[in-house]
Amino acid sequence: MSQKKNNIFRKFLILVISLVVALASSGYSADTGTAAEDSESAVDFEHSLDDYVPAKKKYNFYFTYKIVHPWWDAVALGMEDAQKKYLEKGIVITYEYMAPDAASYEDQIKRLSEAEKGDYDVIGVDVADEEKISAVLDEMVDAGYKVMTFSSSDASADCKRIAYVGNTHNYQDGADLTQALCEKLEYKGKVGILVGSYGAPCHEDRAKGAKDTIAKYPNMEIAAVEYDMDSIDKAHELAVKMLKDNPDIAGFVCCNMSNPVGTARAVTELGSKAVIVGMDHDQEALRYLRDGVIYCLGVQDCYSIGFDTIQVAVKIADGNLPGDLFPDKTDESTTIIYQEDAAPMLEVLYGDVSQ
Amino acid sequence: MKNRKITEKAVTITAAIGSVLIMVAVIANTYWASRQAISSTNQAVSAVSAFYLESMADRHARTITNLINNNFDYMEKAVRVIDEDDIESQDELRDAIGRMKTLLSLNRFALVDEDNIVYTQYTTYTGGSRHAFLADETLDDRVISTVFRYGSSKELCLAIPIDVKIMGKQFKACFVQIDINDIVNLLAFDDEESTHFALYSANGGNISQTELGPLIGTGNIFDATEGNVSGQKWDSFRNDFANEERGTLTFTINGIVDTIYYEPVPDTGWELVVMIRESVIQDQIQEISEKSLATNRRQIFSLLVIASVFSGIIFYMLRRSARERLDEEKENSKAFKSMANTDSMTGVRNKHAYMEAEAQYNSRIREGSVDNLALVVCDINGLKYVNDTKGHAAGDQLIKDASALICDMFSHGSVFRTGGDEFVVLLQDKGYDTREEVINAFNRKVEENISKNEVVVSIGYSTLQPEDEQLHDIFERADHLMYDRKKELKSMGARTREFDEEQS
Repeated sequence: MSQKKNNIFRKFLILVISLVVALASSGYSADTGTAAEDSESAVDFEHSLDDYVPAKKKYNFYFTYKIVHPWWDAVALGMEDAQKKYLEKGIVITYEYMAPDAASYEDQIKRLSEAEKGDYDVIGVDVADEEKISAVLDEMVDAGYKVMTFSSSDASADCKRIAYVGNTHNYQDGADLTQALCEKLEYKGKVGILVGSYGAPCHEDRAKGAKDTIAKYPNMEIAAVEYDMDSIDKAHELAVKMLKDNPDIAGFVCCNMSNPVGTARAVTELGSKAVIVGMDHDQEALRYLRDGVIYCLGVQDCYSIGFDTIQVAVKIADGNLPGDLFPDKTDESTTIIYQEDAAPMLEVLYGDVSQ
Repeated sequence: MKNRKITEKAVTITAAIGSVLIMVAVIANTYWASRQAISSTNQAVSAVSAFYLESMADRHARTITNLINNNFDYMEKAVRVIDEDDIESQDELRDAIGRMKTLLSLNRFALVDEDNIVYTQYTTYTGGSRHAFLADETLDDRVISTVFRYGSSKELCLAIPIDVKIMGKQFKACFVQIDINDIVNLLAFDDEESTHFALYSANGGNISQTELGPLIGTGNIFDATEGNVSGQKWDSFRNDFANEERGTLTFTINGIVDTIYYEPVPDTGWELVVMIRESVIQDQIQEISEKSLATNRRQIFSLLVIASVFSGIIFYMLRRSARERLDEEKENSKAFKSMANTDSMTGVRNKHAYMEAEAQYNSRIREGSVDNLALVVCDINGLKYVNDTKGHAAGDQLIKDASALICDMFSHGSVFRTGGDEFVVLLQDKGYDTREEVINAFNRKVEENISKNEVVVSIGYSTLQPEDEQLHDIFERADHLMYDRKKELKSMGARTREFDEEQS
């Protein structure tokens, strides 16, 4: 009963926040600050299937993503939610959701090659390397496979993949986070940029957004740009090195989920006053945000990405193409949250028990 | 010591005060007893509540333990069955997992191969980062862990190491994940909404998201109780959670005192906390107190009625007894008086009565209030002779015959036996007026009796004279006349002691 009430309350909050956002964007609201409610609206856990009636009673999908990592585990939960809801309607969906322990376009190509041999209705890819993988996807589509992209990284703009579900504004996310950092630093000082995997479109786009933003301000400069290959330990190591090489570093832009955790550890360890902005909802990162070590985090709605991926995959499996049923790119939101949002976000994502 | 006379009023007042004191004592005793009853009831309710809480916590903890053990057993069985199946494809494996899941009512039942690929009924996924128990390369023993899923849902994960080959792959683990909400529903099944309970992690976080009463709610139990108990108790409370100990904690929030009982759930790192709903205790106490009070009121009322009735009866009986004793005393007094003034042989008044009458007459004579009074002195003739010759019984009979004769003849006079053979008759009013006729008739009768050898009585009489100062003056004159008459009767043949002795 209590959970049901919470769900209703959460939906109500989402509705209210959506209205507030709509009003703010239409000029009715003068308050452009970040409300604590952002944490509630950053991730939508309440989903229901749309009105589309699947043509078959059974579907089998194959999804591959960049790296075994908690971020994609969150996407998986949204996918499982959709699978259960289809099952309630009598439609059985089975799928594989596979990734390597370390990001690698070679591994991804290999997996796609194996997937071609399986009896899958749709093959979904979180593109590990835009340049390398887009070509492979084109070949698969030409060969008659139904291919879609999902989660963090789309293929290249001219790729023949059928649709994309996920973050479509990685560049803007990088720019927005960096803008917040620049304001905090009063538009002066050295900034270190940490990126995830080489060639990963989402990471590269965010890094580009960060670089372009910093370039707008003459009193700011980029101290270093490093890739942690989605490893927290590597991020920590790189951040320590940056701080030691540039003791006057004023801030960090962290473009993936592991970057802010490793950087916060380094800043805490070395007693630095550097301001950190970063991506995603890692539990440790949220705790650093709550404690004031991290200034702000861009939280993507992974759950919705997963849920919508399954819905779009079903439609693609039935032979549908982007149009009225689904767009070419299903955009999922990113919300920048600050210290005051950390505790409620920890509550929403992980429960207070872990705080 | 001076003896004071106890009056009826004193007895009544004493009885009234005594009754009031008894009633006050009874009411006070009943009131005290009712207070004691309420106090005892409260203590009993507290004891029962504590026992109830402890029992419920223990039962809930055992329910979870049983659930865990059952799931471990089911997993073992499921793996054995799957291992015995000749599974050659992923579809067959999914079917087998689904079948086992349904047959054994397992939640999220999955197998894990050596590459940390997780196989469930509908999905196959790389699970290295998703399941903490896969962090270690090998799984050596059973693992019980709490999973805090993205989206704040919590699950209990139970994993066992396995060693089977399916589809040519080595499988290393098998696990189930049980939604905490399912555990809560299981525990709430026999709860009857009379208690609060919640599951907590060692750091006080509420895992079950069940409300532990309105005061603690669903928040962190340490945060909720901090400041509401002494620092020492709070530290001890936290240590108990950290060390998986059981115990109780009483705290006050907003003036309301509540007690919780906590019991560790073995192997989970959880503490199960129960708190009986305050309204239930209050209702129970109120119900018992009201019953007790109603009983006491009835007791007091009954005692008052009984005491009043009993007091009334005692009063009535005391009064009646006193009156009866008074009447008896009067009767006794009368009897004693009568006995003192009556001659036991003849029934006429005795010498003592004569002396009293003499004293009264003397007084009246002195006052001059007596007009007509005659005194007759009577003496039985031959009494000694009869005593000597016929015995005292015959003598007594002679006295009685003489008395009867005197009383018959002087029916309007007062007859006194003043000596062994002497009688005095006082005549007033009608007796005085008819004295001459009566005396003449008496004398005639006596004279007739001489010849019949029956009782002979010599009489002499005199009347009150103006110069008389006392009754004795009349007596002396009458006595002389009596002697004269005795002589006369002697002459007629009657026996007389005096004259017989003179002759002898």
